[in-house]
Amino acid sequence: EPGSPSSTAASVSEPSLHSLAELGFTEAQAGQIHQAVSSLKKRGAGRDVLSSLTVMLVLGFNCSSVLKLLEKCPELCTVKEAQLQQRINNLRKLGLIEGSLQRTVAHYPDVLTVPVKTVKSVMHFLREKCLFTSQQLTHILRDSPQVVLEDLDQLEYKFQYVYFRMGVKQADMVKFRLFRFTLDEVRCRHAFLERRGFYQTPDKKGQTLIINPRLDSVLHSDLDSFLTHVAQASAEEYRVFQKLLAREWKEEELQQGGIQAE
Amino acid sequence: EKWAATRVKHPPTRLALQHFDATYSGQLGKIWPSVRVALLSERKYGALLNHFSNHNVLEDLQSQGCSDFISYRDEEGRCFCESTADSDGQQPSGLQLSPNIQCFVFPRGDVTRFQPARPDLCGLLSHYLMDAASVLPCLALDVQEGHNVLDLCAAPGGKTLALLQTQSISFLCVNDASVSRTMRLRKVLNSYVPKEFLTNEKLRITSFDGTQWGDIERNTFDRVLVDVPCTTDRHSLMEDDNNIFSKNRIGERRRLPQLQAELLLAGIQAACPGGEILYSTCTLSQSQNQSVVEQAVFVARENHDIQLQVVSLRPLTQMFQNTFYFAPDLRLGEMVLPHLTSNFGPIYMCKLRRLT
Ligand SMILES: C[S@@+](CC[C@H](N)C(=O)[O-])C[C@H]1O[C@@H](n2cnc3c(N)ncnc32)[C@H](O)[C@@H]1O
Repeated sequence: EPGSPSSTAASVSEPSLHSLAELGFTEAQAGQIHQAVSSLKKRGAGRDVLSSLTVMLVLGFNCSSVLKLLEKCPELCTVKEAQLQQRINNLRKLGLIEGSLQRTVAHYPDVLTVPVKTVKSVMHFLREKCLFTSQQLTHILRDSPQVVLEDLDQLEYKFQYVYFRMGVKQADMVKFRLFRFTLDEVRCRHAFLERRGFYQTPDKKGQTLIINPRLDSVLHSDLDSFLTHVAQASAEEYRVFQKLLAREWKEEELQQGGIQAE
Repeated sequence: EKWAATRVKHPPTRLALQHFDATYSGQLGKIWPSVRVALLSERKYGALLNHFSNHNVLEDLQSQGCSDFISYRDEEGRCFCESTADSDGQQPSGLQLSPNIQCFVFPRGDVTRFQPARPDLCGLLSHYLMDAASVLPCLALDVQEGHNVLDLCAAPGGKTLALLQTQSISFLCVNDASVSRTMRLRKVLNSYVPKEFLTNEKLRITSFDGTQWGDIERNTFDRVLVDVPCTTDRHSLMEDDNNIFSKNRIGERRRLPQLQAELLLAGIQAACPGGEILYSTCTLSQSQNQSVVEQAVFVARENHDIQLQVVSLRPLTQMFQNTFYFAPDLRLGEMVLPHLTSNFGPIYMCKLRRLT
């Protein structure tokens, strides 16, 4: 078989240039695929790359988009055809219609490296514990697919933080794509605003003395405009604040760990 | 941990914040958010060097990257404590800072913490950790060789210790109304100062009500430090224990300005004519700062026939503006504002000189 020069491990069969060409890949693209596969070989990958690639093509991606997916997420090669198919079907079942599905995969191919079981448990968690509707879940999955890779404890903490501390309801969390951001990003910006006096936790009736900035201006502004328009602070202040907050959190965690250990 | 369950309804720290929001946003205007976030975040310390200890902590401190802010040199190598003349070389500032008071701080924006102080072979501790801005009132007091000094509200003793570092005081009178806090002060002094400096000829420690000092000992001291009890803004925002904003201390809190004015007046009476009095607090509150000074100056003139002059502290603030963030345009006295990049203070100080 006309393997690439790097093809030494006999157990891993790489897709031949010929078969790749048959799927429509140019020679250069085929070379790149080889590279991607061989870089993963050590991890026992690439057994059935050809059929996995076929699944992606069938999904509607052209050769160059498939290549982009592999660049973003080489691990895709390690997923077996059957699993890939299952995972795609599951996303469809969760409401991602054609078009959305492809966009989500293109934006975040890692979503296909996550077992169906994991995706289901995250969705179950968001529905049962956080009370998102099915439609909201679809939107979360579509706009912030990275949510399926999150640790459930972290996810719960993030949800509770935003729901209780920031007083943001589910609809806005979905609309403003909360789950694209890590807990630390959310907490840091919010805590900064809160300590500056620009953000208040609503009382039982949902009221605050000041008007809180909307979640999107807290999260989606780039740092400069966040500082100038929302926090009205200097970059130097924020830099120091981040350092202090990181230390506060670390110490809080240590303390809680200590309490649990007792 | 559930957010909803852990929130107590009206903890004193929260009441303090509400109170500060209401008063300081008006007083400080656009600076308030920056001061607020600094107050609610970890403060910075300074390490007051103990010259009585033989522990060689200086090198330690320097190797960690901190430096003495009092002898701080700017890029041109100019030492701030040497510059007794203004930049135009005309007016001497009249401040002679004791070279023995050294206080180490980490640079602007650096949040490294200090190691705890260690004892030397005689058991004396190498340095005292305190708000670096608290050293300023001691510097501003401008103690000279042979002075008689009164520290009217002295416990737990950080400023007393800084004053003792000058080694130029001939007699120091240390007082604090609280007996238990006076005990703490004794402990501090014993762990930092050799016994021969704590003899009855050099030092007297008492636990009187400072407001009565005018009746005990008038026209006596060259320098008087009046570091009054106040709303201790930082503490009130961070600790629910022993918080002056707790519901059952409302009366005490309301009476603070009156108590402060009485203490300052007593300090004024205790000073000798020509002597100097330094009033200081660790609050941003105008009614505990400027208003108290005005009130005391008024009563001293009207009821006690004592004329006072406000001594400008501008030379001092100019020297140290690289280390501290001073409030702009205060009508009376000077104030260090907390700021994340140099999170010291709040410290208010105002200096008075007795003319009669
Ligand atoms: C801000 S603290 C002094 C801090 C001290 N100067 C230092 O640097 O460590 C105020 C002190 O005033 C004391 N105090 C309160 N009322 C007093 C009074 N009537 N006379 C004298 N001291 C009083 C308190 O016990 C408290 O220790």
